[in-house]
Parts: sequence; C-alpha cells; structure tokens
Amino acid sequence: MANKSFGQKLLGVWNTRTIVTVAIGAALFGVLMNYGGIPVFTNTSLTTAMIVPVVVGAMYGPLPAFVAAGVGNVIADLIGGWGLWFDWSVGNAVAALFVGLLPIYGAYITDGVFEVKHAVIYAICCVIGNAVAFGVVTPILTAVFYGSDLNVTFLQAIAASLGNIAVEVVIGIPILFILAKRYKSRSNLEEDE
Amino acid sequence: MNNRLVINYTPGPTMLHRLTGFTKVFLFIAMTVAIIATYDIRILIPLFLINLAEMISMKPNYKPIVIMFAITFVTVTLLGNVMLFLVSPDVGFNNIGVTNMLWQGSGRLYLTKEFLWYCLVIFVKRTASFASVMAFALATTPSEFASGLNKVGLPYKVCTIVSLAYRTIPDIANDFINIRNSMMMRGVELSKKASLWKRLKNTVLILVPLIFTAFGKVGNIANAMDLRGYGKHRKRTWYAEHETSKWDTIIRILAVILLAAAVYYIIRYRIIDPWPARIWCPWADPNEIVSVNQIDTVFFMKWFKK
Repeated sequence: MANKSFGQKLLGVWNTRTIVTVAIGAALFGVLMNYGGIPVFTNTSLTTAMIVPVVVGAMYGPLPAFVAAGVGNVIADLIGGWGLWFDWSVGNAVAALFVGLLPIYGAYITDGVFEVKHAVIYAICCVIGNAVAFGVVTPILTAVFYGSDLNVTFLQAIAASLGNIAVEVVIGIPILFILAKRYKSRSNLEEDE
Repeated sequence: MNNRLVINYTPGPTMLHRLTGFTKVFLFIAMTVAIIATYDIRILIPLFLINLAEMISMKPNYKPIVIMFAITFVTVTLLGNVMLFLVSPDVGFNNIGVTNMLWQGSGRLYLTKEFLWYCLVIFVKRTASFASVMAFALATTPSEFASGLNKVGLPYKVCTIVSLAYRTIPDIANDFINIRNSMMMRGVELSKKASLWKRLKNTVLILVPLIFTAFGKVGNIANAMDLRGYGKHRKRTWYAEHETSKWDTIIRILAVILLAAAVYYIIRYRIIDPWPARIWCPWADPNEIVSVNQIDTVFFMKWFKK
C-alpha cells in the first residue's frame, strides 16, 4: 500500500482480487443490513453494516468502499424488499467514501500500520463523512425524488448519523487494530511474482 | 430465514421470467423514473396497478411479500406518519398549498385535510415503488441482472460485482447466523439483557470472525476467476443473455414509451408549466395555491433568517 501513487490509493487498483473483495463486501453489507442490527429500543436498531466499507476501504481505498456500500445497499433493499431508496443508498455510499479514506492518511492496514493518530483521524473522517452524507446529500435527494418532509428526514438523518458514528468508532477502531495486528504478523512474508 | 429472501436463483416459468435480462433491467429503470417523476395520484395508481399485475402474473410465493409489506407498512407508514404529525403538521400546506382545518388541538397539534391527502399520495408512491422492486426482484436472477446492467452500459466489472454479491449472500448469511449462534452458546450476550455498551463490544466478537471468513474466500474466488481468464478482454458475453423473443420486443417498446412519457411529463409538467404546488389535489383551486419553498420549511432555516 505504502508505495502506491496517490491516485491508486484513492481509486484503488481494479484487478480481479479487488472486484471479488468489493463483491463480498457488498454481500456482507446486505447481510448485516438485514440481520446484523443491534437492538436499542423497540423497533430501532443500530446497523452494523457500515463496518464493511471501513474494512474494504482499509484494504483497497475509498472508491472500492464507495462501490461496496452503494451496491450493497441496493442489494439489501432488493432482498429486504422495502423498496429501493436511492437517497439513502447514495448517502451511505458517500459516507463510505469518507470512512474508507484510510490509506490516504497513511493507515496501511494490509502492511500492519494502524496507530493511535490514525484512529483519531479516522474518527474525525467518520464524523465529517456522516455529516456530509446524511446532512446534505440524503436530504437533497429525498426532497427531489420522494417528497418526504424535510424536517422528518433531518431527524432521521441525525439519528442515522449518530448510530453510524457510534458503530464506526466503537466497533470499527477495535476491528482495525485487530486487522492491522493480524496483517503485521504476516508481513515478513513476501509474495513471489 | 430463507422465507425472507424473495430473490430467485433459477429462472421461473412465466412470460415475464423468460424475458432477457436487458428487457427486465430496462423496464425497471423506466418504471423507477416514472414513479420518481410524479406526485400525481392519477398517474401513480395506474403505475402501481401495472406492477401489481406483473407480480401476480408471476405466481409468486406470497408469504414473504406480505410479511415485508406489513413490516414496511407498520414502520414506515404508520410510525412515520405519527412522527410526521408530531413534527410537521403543516406538511400538507407546504406540499399542496391550501389549508382546510379538520381538527385543532393545542398549539402545533392540528390536523388538516391536506395532511391526510399528503399521507395518501406518499403512501401510494411508496407502495408503487415497493411493487416495482418486488416485480423486478421476483423476475430476475443474479446473472440476468448483471447481463442486463452490462447491456444498459455499466462496465462489466461492476456487473460482476453485482452478480457475485448476489450469489454470495446466502453463504454469508449462513456464516453470520452460525457464528452468531456459536458465540451466543459461548455466553456472548447480544439481547437486551446486556447494556448497550456491552452489546456494542460483543458485536465486535461476532464481526471479527465474520469478516475473516467472508474475506478469506476472496483469494480462492479471485484465483479461480483469473485462471479462467477473467478480465483479459475489454468486453464479455453472458450466459444469461439469450435470444430476444416476441415478448421482449413488445415489452421493450412499451418500456421506451413509458420512459419517453416520463421524460415528457418531467419537462412539460415539472419544468415548463408546473402545477403551483408540488402535489396535485382535487379540491385545491390553482389560483389560491400558495407555493412554498421546501427549504424554508426546515426547522433550522429560521435560525439563519430574522
């Protein structure tokens, strides 16, 4: 990861491995969206699906994370059957773009690099990403496409962002540390071309 | 768990099932554009009925569809409208432009005829959208979906992502349920007995093995695809895309007409000569309608204005 150019870090390298990773990420996103909620009150749950773009982003960069979250959300909507909500799909994808920025600021999980300062930047990115996605993108699309009331949309968006940020920070950071440790223990091996 | 998945993995026997992937995807896109384009209940109800007829013609297993519809109805429509009533009772006026008071409670609690009309229109719009998604999901297998998307113009690598993700969902769902059950057997508490903080921390214990099993398959799948020459050429053909039949031609022509009508509707009635308010309403006189800028209705906008 460290020796790649900025563009490659941002866009990812689209070989077969990346495609399969993004596809599995999208499937995992769909499954977690449908089954992986953490019950909070009756009828409300925190979705753990936003962990997927964090992991995909850590391995391949923000654009693969974006695609994984976008495709994953569309698929989750199709199998969950509550109708396609492009406003929320696009919002989730934009949030994924921000949380997947890890390689840009030097957190190379696949090389085993993830330190406390990266965790702090990661948390800030989560907050910014959710604010942009659910504070700007989703309400605009909702107003244009579906005509939902903007006040209700904003309340839902605030609830969704707080839930996402909680999941991304409280669950995401330990998972990133575990992943980095796991990759570090293998990093003295070299792939033979 | 399997009851909850409507998606087919093998093509079914009816006419709509036998269409090519491109026809299905194109019809779905045209339908979605049409449903998004309009707030006019006189157009939305026919669109809903078309999709309902499509669904019925495929003779589906109704149980999961009814369960899903019931869940969506309770959470989105019932709870959503109660919340809407408490948060912005003036939404009817904002979208329709006139007010006929039905019941006046104290302060911000009041019910107007337009509020009910707004709820009805949005409900019909959502139900039409639900029916179109259901009809599409029932008719389409993952490979057909991918081949159709490719023919619509998406790069084939994205299409592979879609079909591969679809195909792996049952596997990953099984893994997820197995891991969760075995973790629960070891005493990891995930129900409401544990505190929220504890539940969040326990979720990490499930997600870590799930992520490793799921992404552990990547190497095998990617190598298998590489060995079969995946991604060598700029284009690819699809098993699922078979010859077009007579019905394909008919449905494609109908879909083109639908799409053209939707685009014409947007240009004619939403841009050139729009109805003064967003939602058409039978008792609203166009001359009395007060049009409201939706942005001004947001609660925090008044903090920026004096």
